[in-house]
Amino acid sequence: MDLNWMMAVAILLPLIAGILVFIIRQYHIRGLIVILTAIALIINSIFLMLHGPDTYTPTSHYWGLAITILDYAMLLFYIYAGLSLKNWLVLIFALTQIIPLAYWEFGMGASKALEEIKPAFVFDHLSIVMVLVISIVGSLITIFALRYMYDHEHHKEIEKSRQSRFLFWLVMFLGAMNGLVMANNLLWLYFFWEVTTLCCFELIAHDLTKEAINNAARALWMNSIGGTAMILAMIYLFAKGGGTAELLTLESIIKAGGNQAMLLLPVALMCFTGFIKAAQFPFQTWLLGAMVAPTPVSALLHSSTMVKAGVYLVLRLAPAFAGSYLGIMVAICGAFTFFAASILAIAQTTGKRVLAYSTIANLGLIIACAGINSPLAIAAAILLIIFHAISKCLMFLCAGTIEHLVWSREIEDMEGLAEKFPVTTFITAIGILSMFLPPFGMLLGKWLALESVFAVPLAAILFVIASAATMVFWAKWLGRLLQVLPRLGRKFESLSLSYSVPLWLLVLGIFVVGIGVAPVYQRFVSFAVNNVVAATEAFAAGWNIVVPSASVAAGGTGALIGSFPVWPLYIVFGVAIVLPLIFVTIKPGELRPVYLCGEQVGGVDTDEWITTADQKAKLQLGGFYWQGATGEGAVNPWFYTVSIALLIILFAVVVGVSL
Amino acid sequence: MNQWWIAIIAIIVAPIIGGFLAGIDRKITARLQGRYGPPIVQPFYDFFKLLGKSRIATSRMQFVWIYGYLVFMITCVVFLVLKLDLLLLIFLLGFAGISFVLGGFSSKSPYSHFGANRELMQILSYEPVLLLMALGVYAQNGSFMISEIMKPGAAPLLPSLWPIFIAVLLVLTIKLRKSPFDLSTSHHGHQELVKGIMTEFSGPYYALINLTEWYEIVLVLGIVALFWANPLWVGIIIALAAFVLELIIDNIAARMTVGWMVKFTWAVGLVLCVLNIAYLYLIKGGA
Amino acid sequence: MGIINTSRIKSPWIMHFDNSSCNGCDIEVLACLTPLYDVERFGIVNMGNPKHADVLVVTGPVNRRTARVLKNLYAQIPDPKMVIAVGTCACSGGVFHNCYNILGGVDKVIPVDVYVPGCAAKPEAIIDGVVLALQKLSKALGVAK
Repeated sequence: MDLNWMMAVAILLPLIAGILVFIIRQYHIRGLIVILTAIALIINSIFLMLHGPDTYTPTSHYWGLAITILDYAMLLFYIYAGLSLKNWLVLIFALTQIIPLAYWEFGMGASKALEEIKPAFVFDHLSIVMVLVISIVGSLITIFALRYMYDHEHHKEIEKSRQSRFLFWLVMFLGAMNGLVMANNLLWLYFFWEVTTLCCFELIAHDLTKEAINNAARALWMNSIGGTAMILAMIYLFAKGGGTAELLTLESIIKAGGNQAMLLLPVALMCFTGFIKAAQFPFQTWLLGAMVAPTPVSALLHSSTMVKAGVYLVLRLAPAFAGSYLGIMVAICGAFTFFAASILAIAQTTGKRVLAYSTIANLGLIIACAGINSPLAIAAAILLIIFHAISKCLMFLCAGTIEHLVWSREIEDMEGLAEKFPVTTFITAIGILSMFLPPFGMLLGKWLALESVFAVPLAAILFVIASAATMVFWAKWLGRLLQVLPRLGRKFESLSLSYSVPLWLLVLGIFVVGIGVAPVYQRFVSFAVNNVVAATEAFAAGWNIVVPSASVAAGGTGALIGSFPVWPLYIVFGVAIVLPLIFVTIKPGELRPVYLCGEQVGGVDTDEWITTADQKAKLQLGGFYWQGATGEGAVNPWFYTVSIALLIILFAVVVGVSL
Repeated sequence: MNQWWIAIIAIIVAPIIGGFLAGIDRKITARLQGRYGPPIVQPFYDFFKLLGKSRIATSRMQFVWIYGYLVFMITCVVFLVLKLDLLLLIFLLGFAGISFVLGGFSSKSPYSHFGANRELMQILSYEPVLLLMALGVYAQNGSFMISEIMKPGAAPLLPSLWPIFIAVLLVLTIKLRKSPFDLSTSHHGHQELVKGIMTEFSGPYYALINLTEWYEIVLVLGIVALFWANPLWVGIIIALAAFVLELIIDNIAARMTVGWMVKFTWAVGLVLCVLNIAYLYLIKGGA
Repeated sequence: MGIINTSRIKSPWIMHFDNSSCNGCDIEVLACLTPLYDVERFGIVNMGNPKHADVLVVTGPVNRRTARVLKNLYAQIPDPKMVIAVGTCACSGGVFHNCYNILGGVDKVIPVDVYVPGCAAKPEAIIDGVVLALQKLSKALGVAK
């Protein structure tokens, strides 16, 4: 396929499809358009992968003009939003973007230089990995959203359907993300960055409740701080480049960055932008607030888009801070977020908030890997991006499905879900297990990260505590779902195809990518790693992942640092869990009531017991959350203090080195 | 092929050793309490009796998770004898523990939920220490492979990792379910809230849990033995001494609360590990 | 399965249930676990949970409230199981016989294998009772004793 077409499908098709679904208000036709767009995006991303790395500059100059105009249109809209919502933070940070941008483009005359930049788009293997993740995982979410939004509005008895509007932003989001991960021209990167912020704002505010609007505004102003930092970085680069656009591409920063300490400041600013988008501490609240949105939005924000843009940018800039103190500080900041979010997740009583903190934690882990910046760490980071997208997408879609089965997001309301909805619980259990246990991909990534983390010992210590906390909060949640009464013959619930197809495809994805991780790595991810850091080691041997020591890479015969036998562990998983799941059966006569000191009432499947004065009471169980020890009230002051201090140290170090 | 044989022999021999260690445990405990105590082979009698009991159930999934617990524990032992990756072994041990917890959560029983939540807190206590131990080994050896620790001519780990060794002894107390940390469930005479996480397991599945615990004893003592892997018999003596030490601690200590356990293991265990790793990092000037 | 039957004899785990005893027999049951008598010599372990137990040791006469509990607990013990009634009250109701709230001995509610009389039953008698129960079990299982 022609490159022109591929770029058009990746970036423009979602926009066109979005406009179409916005206009057409018929449920089935709209669904068809979304499904066709999803299929087109998936096929297109595969073509892009087969095409391989390339560069692309649109031939017409009007594109540059259009982007400039749209940039200002968006910023003016932010100002309008700030005024109409009476949210001064939104207004202030919109102004801090538009004023320097206008001054820079027209006052300093940068707009002319910016239009000259060639190539405008560069996509290497890292971009291709991102495009695949965005197109495949993101498309599945749009399909899920079709039915979900229908049920959502049905349940809330909303008179005037706003599904079209919702789908418009959702589908367009994918195009913006595709553009973001391929953009080379910094201004265009900034443009796509702002489009994702805008989509995010609109989607969070979708339900138009007071809470939704407030949280959307918070997401907007926090990300606007990031936008401001990026504009400052661009101006700095422009000035350093002697008023030319020489340094205003990602490519040039990466090439020059490693050698020029002067470039550390803009790189640090752009990492800071990435931190905000990736909801790192102390900016985690916008992502937590985003949980009020309908679940497909959360799924999209957390798995394939938005927050992944943040980690993508840090990862992309990794060569520019290789071997500097900035790298170490990025690693420590990321590791601290991993630690803090994992601890906080233990105390959460709402399913989606647990997921949100887990996302923040994993993004911290990825960013820490980018900061460590060894081939092993970068491999871990990219594998984590892939696996996290699949697993977290599955988890959010499960959360959405559960929400529409029990109409609640509270973990306590999901108690005994296995009893009522065994299929959903099964898929959710797979999702949860895939987040933190071997042999699944997320753990593989964490394992790789830990094998590489010793370069920054402080990060290593934060890693291990976080990884223990991770186990606790996931197991705790899964435990609440599993409890059942002694009863046989449960009915399997039937889910709408729009729910079940994405769910099962993602389950399949977890296993296929998980088992095939070594070939996937070798044929695919290793190139992306090489785009970031020159990796001489091969981390895959056959179907297994191995970590050779440096001497092996240099041609020596030294031993391994670590090894992860992938398929044997999947066999172990099969023998340990899958076979018993299939073959263990129990007969009705073997059922006994649970032990209640002999005070239970009635038959085997009772949960009533006799309490004082021969009163019957229902057995009630609750989860532990340890909110006094790990709740937001207890630990947030500390976490905020430390994370802000870390950011100050980060910038102090950078400024110190630059001066 | 050789590797297969080692694995098969380990799978057969480990529970026998573990069973005898459990018997020795009961005998020594009895003697420390001024009793005569059961025969050394008592755990095997218990095991076979439990196998022969009729099966009663409160849910199907609890059985599934118990198989998970057993199989993953066996995998850990195989990882140890095949000298594979220590870090991965610890993660697999985590899966085994989580399987057990989920088994406890699988029935609507207040006691087993209590036990399962406490078991989770135990995991939260010992998991970071074990992971830091793996990092300490890496700091010393530059590799996570057990084969590197046991390589002929490799220096023993204990002289440089003794603070981590002390922290691992704490883990050993938790893993062997000894006082003051026998919180989620406990052994023989003791009970904790009607035996916590074990409450709803009975008959053959109780036997499977016993079997898993025998593997676990061998595994954790094996990990302790790694601290002096050259020559290995020194390590084994150290491990057995540690085992006897745990029994003495069990008999002189009272059971503490869950919160105290987490605080204590983090305050003592983690700090020891961190200091040890920091020291190694400083003298080696980074990895 | 020879080894399993042998093991059944060697490893009786008891669970102790107190109906409405005066606590005299209960103290004697617990005395069996002390160093002086040390029933763990025979593999006897005191369990708190019927699901783990093989032998249900019952003290005290059954009253109208505990009858239900006793039945529930008995149903939760996996087979093969034995019941030992310890003390005169548990055997027949004892001095509480014909009380308005007392049903009588344990055998009014669940089948009893061994009766250990005495007020209170001596620890030696209780140990004898357990041994008798085991002999009964081994005969039922066809294990030579």
